[in-house]
Amino acid sequence: MSVRSLLLVSVAAVLAVAVGLPAASGPATPAPRPGGTLIIGRGVDSVTLSPYASASPDAEVISHVAETLYQLTPEGRIEPLLAERLPQVSPDGRSMTIRLRRGIRFHDGTPFDAAAVKWNFDFILNPENRAPFRAILLGEVTSVDVVDAYTVRLNLRRPFVPLLAHLTHDFLAIHSPTAVQRAGGMRPPTGEPYGRQPVGTGPFRFREWVRGDRIVLERNPDYWGPRKPLLDQVVFRAIPDDGARVLALEGGQIHVAVRVPPRETTRLALNRALRIDRTSSVRTIYIAFNNQKPPFTDPRVRQAFNYAVNKRAIVQTVLGGAARVSDAPISPGIVGYSPIQPGGWPYDVERAKRLLAEAGHGAGLNVTLLHPTGRYVQDAAVAAAVQAQLRAAGINARLQTMEWAAYLSYTNQPVDRTPVEMFMLGWGTVTGDADYGLFSLFHSSQWAPAGFNRFFYRNPQVDQLLEEARAITDPARRAATYKQAMELIWRDAPWLFLHSESQVTGLRREVQGLVVHPTERVLAHTAWLAR
Amino acid sequence: MWRYVLKRVLLALPVLLGVSVVVFVAIRLIPGDPAQIMAGQAATEEVVRQIRQSLGLDQPLPVQYLYFLRSVVRGDLGRSLFNGAPVVEELRQRFPRTVRLALASMVVASLIGIPAGILAATRHLSWLDTLVMLVALVGVSMPVFWLGLNLILVFSVRLQWLPAFGYETWRHLLLPSFTLGAASAAIVARMTRSSMLEVLGQDYIRTARAKGLAERVVVNRHALRNALIPVVTVLGLQLGTLLSGAVLTETVFAWPGIGRLLVDAVLARDYPIIQGATLLIAATFVALNLAVDLLYGLLDPRIRYE
Repeated sequence: MSVRSLLLVSVAAVLAVAVGLPAASGPATPAPRPGGTLIIGRGVDSVTLSPYASASPDAEVISHVAETLYQLTPEGRIEPLLAERLPQVSPDGRSMTIRLRRGIRFHDGTPFDAAAVKWNFDFILNPENRAPFRAILLGEVTSVDVVDAYTVRLNLRRPFVPLLAHLTHDFLAIHSPTAVQRAGGMRPPTGEPYGRQPVGTGPFRFREWVRGDRIVLERNPDYWGPRKPLLDQVVFRAIPDDGARVLALEGGQIHVAVRVPPRETTRLALNRALRIDRTSSVRTIYIAFNNQKPPFTDPRVRQAFNYAVNKRAIVQTVLGGAARVSDAPISPGIVGYSPIQPGGWPYDVERAKRLLAEAGHGAGLNVTLLHPTGRYVQDAAVAAAVQAQLRAAGINARLQTMEWAAYLSYTNQPVDRTPVEMFMLGWGTVTGDADYGLFSLFHSSQWAPAGFNRFFYRNPQVDQLLEEARAITDPARRAATYKQAMELIWRDAPWLFLHSESQVTGLRREVQGLVVHPTERVLAHTAWLAR
Repeated sequence: MWRYVLKRVLLALPVLLGVSVVVFVAIRLIPGDPAQIMAGQAATEEVVRQIRQSLGLDQPLPVQYLYFLRSVVRGDLGRSLFNGAPVVEELRQRFPRTVRLALASMVVASLIGIPAGILAATRHLSWLDTLVMLVALVGVSMPVFWLGLNLILVFSVRLQWLPAFGYETWRHLLLPSFTLGAASAAIVARMTRSSMLEVLGQDYIRTARAKGLAERVVVNRHALRNALIPVVTVLGLQLGTLLSGAVLTETVFAWPGIGRLLVDAVLARDYPIIQGATLLIAATFVALNLAVDLLYGLLDPRIRYE
């Protein structure tokens, strides 16, 4: 079996594994109509539209303007975009050759070719440029070669299969090198001044950005792709207040409202001019235990906490159904996901009490549960619900919250200094590959503050499996390896497994063809407005 | 008078210097690291350290402050840690929008508050007086969030008369300025009423009435002008509050002014923006106080500036 067919099979397997994720397109409708301006209301503005981006509000806008070599479909498939076909991986797995599409031009008229791709990747790879996602996305890439005008080769430190998924990430979108230079370059930390006026090959061209207010994109009439953009303009408006954003949607001043609060959905569902879209996201919410601090050094205690909390009830009541109970450490739609315990960790208070008694805490337990407020959907309310349920199992959890900036620093201290016992956090597997969702969190080399294992979990077997999986090209074997690792993690219970968030988006009825992507981006590439 | 103005301006310098020290130290004392936030929660320690270094945040505090002060003297407030834009440019964009909103709210407050106060005072202890004071009490107590969202609900969603957000035209200004001005209108009404009541009890008012002047002339020509002095003080202070306290209104109406800039900057620990914005607000307060003091002279010729 050639390497290429291996990759093709891997994509097919991804397809098989991926769970159907509904796109936001409506029921059968009349033929697409060109023209019009689509206004998307969101809670925050972007920070930069350059490779210095670091959050989904940036990625969402970039995706319309600048394109990546590959794309991750909402169903979790990897497809060629600016690349002509899936890459060829060398037999030793240490290089990846990519053929590019021909005849594509950037919005400034300069040609898209291998030199442009190399320029972009070289820029990110250069440590002096301090691109925030260099280590995460291109950490295993040592250099980029131009093979011919339309072929590039990425050389790797070691075989690293997740790279293909990483190439779908908007922070690795290809920008026009000429435009970057003409704008005056990109300076860390945010890629100024180019970051305010991106030029790519995408279906929409950048037009205007009034900071804190709106970003305006216009149709690229010369778009190369088979599906031409229909809208004349796409406008991203920053409306920070949830209530005001929903009202603007009801009043028809915006067409799309992202992050609709769950409490509003029942009311909005009654409005016939509107539609509510619920798309699950790749963001998993969990409560981590400090695995190196008693009583959480005892796996029975960690398991008891998991038994004591009724995740289903929390999803139904606190989150209004806008979440999915975790049945694995990562969520569906991610390459390498498989359900470990269908339906989630069972709710069994008696079992929890028994386990606690076995672990010597039959008389009860006092812990402090740290949680953010306003960072994740209903985070404080979820923490309060967990607290109430733990009480039934004889656990007295004291709630503690702090503002996000302080929270990030507080939970990121080394093991010998951290005061935390239990804390709520979320992780978005934005690369769409299990490696990013598992290695970064559960590998013992990632203990805070060096990495994101802020709960100090260590299992040598898990470490080994996660390392192995990075080099396995056979998708079935890779998925099996991840499954094995996730089974161990599940049994060790370093977290209180909660849920993955759904994105609740409100749309006017006339909006068609809009895609709410699991990676927390609203995409208007092929959207249009019905009469 | 110019000597007086010069003296006041010179006195303002230590005030601003004090503000800058307090803000500079305070934002660095609260927990939360801008480098960490900027790098994102997934960043490695190495990346965070690099960013901290590139921002000069690894230097001792006094050194950082001196660098800051040197730049300020040169008219350079630095760059936003987050979007890299020059702070001066951000302020130049945002501040006029907030000024526009605050001035419009002042107009709302004066147009509603002063006539309401006069009305209440001239009909002292009548049902009208009670009603005005009751409405004023409600106005002061009403949360800005609640009022703003309800105005949007009625005028944008139901009636579709006015836009719910945006800042370009006068139509965009109506709802936010009413929301922001409502509480001030209530305060102005109460102030006008009590000041008016005091003036109406003065001897010269009795004299004016004794001359046989029409009550309208007595109120408008003789009483109002004198009654306005404390009202002007209140209005001046209110303008300062409106300029710095428009955060909630700016949030509800997605108005990209300086209040929201400041709150976002605090949450993101964007030190240069916080420093620049607070300095600007402090300077505005100082300037407004001076302007109010000078206005007294216009209203009451007995007041002289030494």
